[in-house]
Amino acid sequence: MIDVRFEDVSKRYRLRASSRHGGGREQEFWAVRDLRFDVQRGETVGVIGHNGAGKSTILKLLSRITAPTAGTITLNGRLAALIEVGSGFHPELTGRENVFLSGSILGMKRREIAQKLDRIIEFSGVERFVDMPVKWYSSGMYVRLGFAVAAHLEADILLVDEVLAVGDAAFQLRCYERIGELRRAGTTMLFISHDLGSIERLSDRVMLMDHGRLVASGAPRDIVREYQQLVASTYVSDVADVPASAVTGVARISDVRFLQRDGHQVFSTCTGDPLRALVDIDVTSPVHDAIVEVFYYSRDGRTLHCQQSTALSGASFALAPGRRCLEFTCEAMGLQPGIYTIGASIRERAGAGIVDWWYGGRVLAVEPGKSVRGHFYAPHEWRWADGAAAERHPADV
Amino acid sequence: MSTVVIRPASSAWLHLGDHLARLREYTDLLHTLSLHRISVRYKQTSLGVLWAVLQPLLMMVIFTGVFSVLAKMPSEGAPYALFAYTALLPWTFFSTTVGNATNSLVTHTQLITKVYFPREILPITYLVAAVFDFGIGFLVLLGLMGWFHVPLTLQTWNLIPVIALLAAWSLAVSLVLAAVQVRFRDIGVALPVLLQLWMFGSPVIYPLSALPESWRNWYLLNPMAGIVSSCRDILLRGVAPDPVPLRFALIVTTIALPIAYLFFKRAEATMADLI
Repeated sequence: MIDVRFEDVSKRYRLRASSRHGGGREQEFWAVRDLRFDVQRGETVGVIGHNGAGKSTILKLLSRITAPTAGTITLNGRLAALIEVGSGFHPELTGRENVFLSGSILGMKRREIAQKLDRIIEFSGVERFVDMPVKWYSSGMYVRLGFAVAAHLEADILLVDEVLAVGDAAFQLRCYERIGELRRAGTTMLFISHDLGSIERLSDRVMLMDHGRLVASGAPRDIVREYQQLVASTYVSDVADVPASAVTGVARISDVRFLQRDGHQVFSTCTGDPLRALVDIDVTSPVHDAIVEVFYYSRDGRTLHCQQSTALSGASFALAPGRRCLEFTCEAMGLQPGIYTIGASIRERAGAGIVDWWYGGRVLAVEPGKSVRGHFYAPHEWRWADGAAAERHPADV
Repeated sequence: MSTVVIRPASSAWLHLGDHLARLREYTDLLHTLSLHRISVRYKQTSLGVLWAVLQPLLMMVIFTGVFSVLAKMPSEGAPYALFAYTALLPWTFFSTTVGNATNSLVTHTQLITKVYFPREILPITYLVAAVFDFGIGFLVLLGLMGWFHVPLTLQTWNLIPVIALLAAWSLAVSLVLAAVQVRFRDIGVALPVLLQLWMFGSPVIYPLSALPESWRNWYLLNPMAGIVSSCRDILLRGVAPDPVPLRFALIVTTIALPIAYLFFKRAEATMADLI
């Protein structure tokens, strides 16, 4: 059974470049072009792509916020969008009244809302303030209550758009649980997120959008990888330290992966967060006295950071044949927010040259975490040194 | 399991039945939002519901002073205050509905770009709120009629279809202006002037009979003419409304409303891109 069917759907936007003398030229661009795909009943599909690749347009078309320019979309079943809908709130009304208001804006029946009221309020975590006008709410409470209403929509097809960036960690966890619950209940889902890690974890299938077209669709792992290569190839110019000498190729790097502390694969991290980088290596014949390095390149191709296995002290290691995996751990990753391409290499210390050089397959997105003034973050703390009070304070924000 | 087909914007003209079916699915929202509209409006003002009474009453007093006492406007034998009020009641209904509804989309930009619901619900809620005001204004009218010793007759029941016609016409105008306002914000600026002119083009301060016979047919193409004069016939004279002006109003409205609605739905399809 097919729940969502796109048949040659296109959406054109007309942009008016306003000139000083009124009028202005009209420019048009196609946000999505000849899009054709199906989503099966119960399937969870993630949609990834650059900003402006057409991801949000797909959601807008599906949720009927705007109509396609050409083509038709067929939906079997009730569709709901899991978006933050605090915008439907009225400041003078209490939290409880607003649940009814935004619930009905989202298409719920009054009776349905009344039945779910307690669960919605509990989910939002604003129980104590529910009879207070929402104009007194903090922005966090506002968003959580809005999201809680949307999370309790009865739907056969659910659209999820970046909501997981909403609220604190505990609330995000509740959102994930709710999504898992709906997924187990057989809800068809369409996911849009920049968080490639959660896309890969939650989706059955991933679609990759580029410039309004669907360029790939398939197993999450493959498509996320393909996307990373796409980003790497379009985003970063030439890298400065491409090795001059030929590689010997007795050991090959097959991938560089990043893990969170808990072992989940991630494609982005925050400045100051711990990060684990794993280098997968296929060794065909032994390499004595090897040095393994991971490079982080900036957009203009400069090496901003390099992680290196022991290179200068006496200790050395040999790479024995087989599939090997080397891990770098870092307690607080100091790169500024931005996008970095990843390179990796294996060298022999003895100077025989490069064993392997790997580049372009991965990208690491760094999001704002610890505040950075200057070029990078380094963990630090402070205390009074005049003997007044010896306790140490973390200096970061 | 319901199947929904989302079609290109250009085909919005064709599916009147689909539009109405979807609107019916959202009856609950219409209900909730209309109640909300009424309660919020009066919650935020300190005089509350009194405003619904004061608005037409103050207009009546001003009009009586200016047009009756100073300008000696004819009123077909009725006390001018009552003569003005019976017209101000439907006129205020029309002008507040159109005034609020025209801005209803642009004041809900946040909603329109985030959530889908049939957008006509927004203008309609202002229409419902105006019905509520009309009810209160009508109670005041009953008081005035008692004061001026004008008897209430069984003809008063005829007011119901006339008000239905008034609501339909107000809706048609609101839908068109609200949709145009999304693209051209000038409408909102020009509207107060437009409504002023429109009032002078309707028999609000003067009777329909004051009009030269040769102008009449053109004049009656404005449905507000038939509606306002029918209200006077019913309330002031206690007779059945003159069929000619009423028929004009009915025909124009019957043609205008479906076209206005489809125009609105066509604009709705790409509204979120422009707003």
